[in-house]
Amino acid sequence: MKSNILARDAVPPITLPPAKTILDMLYYMKLTRELEFRIERKLYRQGKIVGGVYVGRGQEAIAVGSCIELRQDDVVCPSHRDMGAFLIRGMTLRTILAQYMARKTGASKGREGNMHMGDLSKNLIAFVSMLGDNVPVAAGIGLSFKMRGQDRVALCFFGDGATSRGDWHEGINMASVFKVPVVFICNNNQYAYSTPLERQMAVENVADRAQAYGLPGEIVDGNDILAVWDASTRAIETARAGKGPTLIECKTFRMTGHSAHDDAGYVPPELFEFWEERDPINRFEQFLTERGLISKPGIDDMQQRISHEIDEAILAAEKDPFPEPGDCLKDVYYEET
Amino acid sequence: MAETKVIMPQMGESIFEGTITKWLKKKGDRIERDEALFEISTDKIDSEIPSPASGVVQDILVKEGQTVQINTVVAVIGDGSAKPAAEAPPAKEPAQEAPKMKEGPAPGGGGPVPGVEEETEAEESPLDEGVRSSPLVRRIAKERGIDVSALAGKGTGINGRITKRDILSYIEQGGKAAQPSVSPPQSGGAARSAGLVNQTPPSPPPMKFTGEVERVPLTAMRKAIAEHMVMSRKTSAHVTTLFEVDCSHIVKAKEKQQAEFQRSGVKLTVTPFFVQAAANALKRFPVVNSSLDGDTVVYKRPINIGIAVNLEWGLIVPVIKNADEKNLFGLAKAVNDIGERARNKKLTPEDVKDGTFTITNPGQYGGLAGTPIINQPQVAIMGMGGIKKRAVVIDDAIAIRPMIMLSLSFDHRVIDGAVADQFMADIQKQLENWQS
Amino acid sequence: MALTTYVEAIRQGIWEEMEKDERVFVLGEDVGIYGGAFKVTAGMLERFGEWRIIDTPISESGIVGAAIGAALMGMRPVAEMQFADFISCAFDQITNFAAKCRYRWGAGVPIVVRGPSGGGVHGGPFHSQNPEMYFVHTPGLKVVCPATAYDAKGLIKAAIRDPDPVIYFEHKFLYRRVKEDLPADDFVVPIGKAAIRRLGTDITVVTYGAMLYIALDAAKELEKEGIDLEVLDLRSLLPFDKEAVIESVKKTNKVILLHEDTQIGGFAGELAAIISEEAFEYLDGPIRRITAPDTPVPYSPPLEEFFLPKVSDVVRVAHELYAY
Repeated sequence: MKSNILARDAVPPITLPPAKTILDMLYYMKLTRELEFRIERKLYRQGKIVGGVYVGRGQEAIAVGSCIELRQDDVVCPSHRDMGAFLIRGMTLRTILAQYMARKTGASKGREGNMHMGDLSKNLIAFVSMLGDNVPVAAGIGLSFKMRGQDRVALCFFGDGATSRGDWHEGINMASVFKVPVVFICNNNQYAYSTPLERQMAVENVADRAQAYGLPGEIVDGNDILAVWDASTRAIETARAGKGPTLIECKTFRMTGHSAHDDAGYVPPELFEFWEERDPINRFEQFLTERGLISKPGIDDMQQRISHEIDEAILAAEKDPFPEPGDCLKDVYYEET
Repeated sequence: MAETKVIMPQMGESIFEGTITKWLKKKGDRIERDEALFEISTDKIDSEIPSPASGVVQDILVKEGQTVQINTVVAVIGDGSAKPAAEAPPAKEPAQEAPKMKEGPAPGGGGPVPGVEEETEAEESPLDEGVRSSPLVRRIAKERGIDVSALAGKGTGINGRITKRDILSYIEQGGKAAQPSVSPPQSGGAARSAGLVNQTPPSPPPMKFTGEVERVPLTAMRKAIAEHMVMSRKTSAHVTTLFEVDCSHIVKAKEKQQAEFQRSGVKLTVTPFFVQAAANALKRFPVVNSSLDGDTVVYKRPINIGIAVNLEWGLIVPVIKNADEKNLFGLAKAVNDIGERARNKKLTPEDVKDGTFTITNPGQYGGLAGTPIINQPQVAIMGMGGIKKRAVVIDDAIAIRPMIMLSLSFDHRVIDGAVADQFMADIQKQLENWQS
Repeated sequence: MALTTYVEAIRQGIWEEMEKDERVFVLGEDVGIYGGAFKVTAGMLERFGEWRIIDTPISESGIVGAAIGAALMGMRPVAEMQFADFISCAFDQITNFAAKCRYRWGAGVPIVVRGPSGGGVHGGPFHSQNPEMYFVHTPGLKVVCPATAYDAKGLIKAAIRDPDPVIYFEHKFLYRRVKEDLPADDFVVPIGKAAIRRLGTDITVVTYGAMLYIALDAAKELEKEGIDLEVLDLRSLLPFDKEAVIESVKKTNKVILLHEDTQIGGFAGELAAIISEEAFEYLDGPIRRITAPDTPVPYSPPLEEFFLPKVSDVVRVAHELYAY
């Protein structure tokens, strides 16, 4: 079984990012974790969130490590387990929680649920539930940069399951043929709902497919934020320099069910145990404390700060109004205001 | 005191009623939970229904033979201490009619339903009578206070419809607006509504043919036939099954025995073969030789096969009594005899009485097969199509054989498809294996 | 002054928009070096270069997806489907991504997806379809079907300038058969407006695409018998000009709905319902439809001829309706 293989362990020696970036990395991972915890284990079970809830527990390093140093004018196309990307790009907790609680003040004004969010002003592209569809779109985004001679870069996220879709293949092919400045990041958490990797694909690694499409592929320990950061930084630079796209596969594990109403009974418990020991936040905290880059009280402070921010945002969002019924009919087409 | 209501269960999603066929316990009997309490029959299956509780049968509310809707309380199980309730009035029979027919068009004339597909002629709606127009014409009429029926008979549209042109020219020519108190004419629409199948069907609309005609009243015989045909259709649940039979054996037998029969003054046709085969099969499938009297199937001992004879002046069915007791020669003689006497109007009432099964010959003019109407009060009738040589497949090779299409119309109230087909298969087997 | 063909009109429209607006570009299969399977983009590669006339892999989903991405970044892509039939390969991107962005997160997707639709060219089932209704059924999209050279040019411009995704079906049968004198200056045909092609008093024929010419030919024949058809060319299906349809029906009181698309789920059904809902009391006869039968488009000439609505169909139905 593939699931307990780490293709590459943490990559010292690498040049560490600046100290501020390091603390931001920890902050965003912890913020993501706490936010999704509140969403999944509290608000959803209290009936304050309806519909589906999907969290990226255990995979926080991937979105955070890759997005942390992007430029404002770079573009991010997240998928459903990349909450960290939304937070880093500047979506507020209030907007996100209002979105989850279906309020008019949410990112989609109540038109969409959970993390189906986007904001062009933050260069965040909302994904559709047909996962893999964002790959050709990202290719087009990269194409527009090339056409206009801009040195912007796009990041496109998807999971292992999405790589089975035709659109994924068409998009990667397009991106490679046109050598667009896009970094494709696969969050390989080894389960697509109840479908394990070996039923999803016949290749050993998602990154093995890169060769078939003529672009470089790299495999990374997805639970090592520094490894993720290192690989994505290089790929982003490659793209920015006009040298074309890269496919980065981050090996990780889905530490929850597919959604809030899935108990993942089909996953052998040993796998959960194995990957729990490799929790990205714990590992990074340990790495940082060992190097004196942060103290234990410092971590607790950060956690408290995060808790408090989320508390406030929940309380505020809970008071926000629901959309008017007639709002259903608006915004289908462009309307002159 | 504890009481448990026993209900008519729903034995399938489309089922909405059931009939109690048998109570296995009576009032006052002791019953255990899950023990069989009664039997039911529904459209699809018959079932034994277990009791939901233990106790004593306190009340039986629905009699054997009664049909009630699902979830109706049919009995009450008590603990034995209560006095039985007074006989509950029998549960109402559920309405058996088909869903109600739509209301006729509003008074003022029926218009065709908008959105009707491409047809080569506008269909005459049976609900229309009197003044037909259109939504536009009615609106114009309303706006002008005109009574559309004032234009009755003057419509230039198809089937005399009042068109826009008609009403506009009426207005132009100073057609009077109706007095406000005049009520719109009854187009007959209201009277048409809510036809229940159990009632007599509405009389058909008066004929509207506008060309030259000649009117000829029905003869008594024709009238009787007409009435019988309609009555038969209304009485029996007609189904027709078709069997193709290889006649090569009987044709061979006929050719072989023709001369011999002729010497005795009897012309041999293929008909007696079919009569004999039918008689034998009726012995083996007595239900096809029966009648339905109310709710009782009446099995008849004699096998009296009627042969339908087509005459200039009508149709008559003389009967060969005890056809199963005759051999081929006897049947051939009988067939010839009744045919001749029928043509010479020499049949007696005795000849046309007491038939139990009928054979008819819709193929005599070359037709492939017929769907005959059952000769009441019988429950089946067999039609013989024309015998034609056809290419058929035998042992994966093509052979030429004289083939006939036999049709059996049967009353599905009494005879199921399986039985009808088995009956016909029996006949087919006899005919196809006829030893000459 | 030379007459401009329908196909040339489309080409001119795209060309002029590309000259005016550097955000506009074309992508699709064989659009660059080859100039397009029907030569719609002939000469454009030389003029605009390979970053504005882009030859893509055979990848309709990829083509439309890339167009969406570029549009989100502010470009104005024109994605070509070599035959409109192949638009089904991009169905998901069009109906789930492009159509819903504005509604879901306020992001407009100003793409044009265009391709040659329709039959009568012995193309068989996959080169003759009229797929418009899949997209008319998707809120968030716009769908146009020009029938004249003027409209072909005016509508492609309108489509390119529109802030929402527009599906543009050009009828291949009309490419070189339809010619017109076109104005030299810039003109746009508004999306959502129909055009009366022939004024009449007895029966309204509502149609679009190549069937316009069937209706007009039938009108000429019927004129000799004193039956006067009014012919309304919808030009846009989504949004469509409901007012024009209702107004015409109120005037003539009898209507024939004619389209080359198959019957079930075809636009005539939608129009029939609307006419019945909104103009019931103006009807002096049943609403009639003339459409292709519910089959794939057959290849063999006698079969295709049976399939396509003909002048004789319109004449026959007009007779019936007139006499009603």
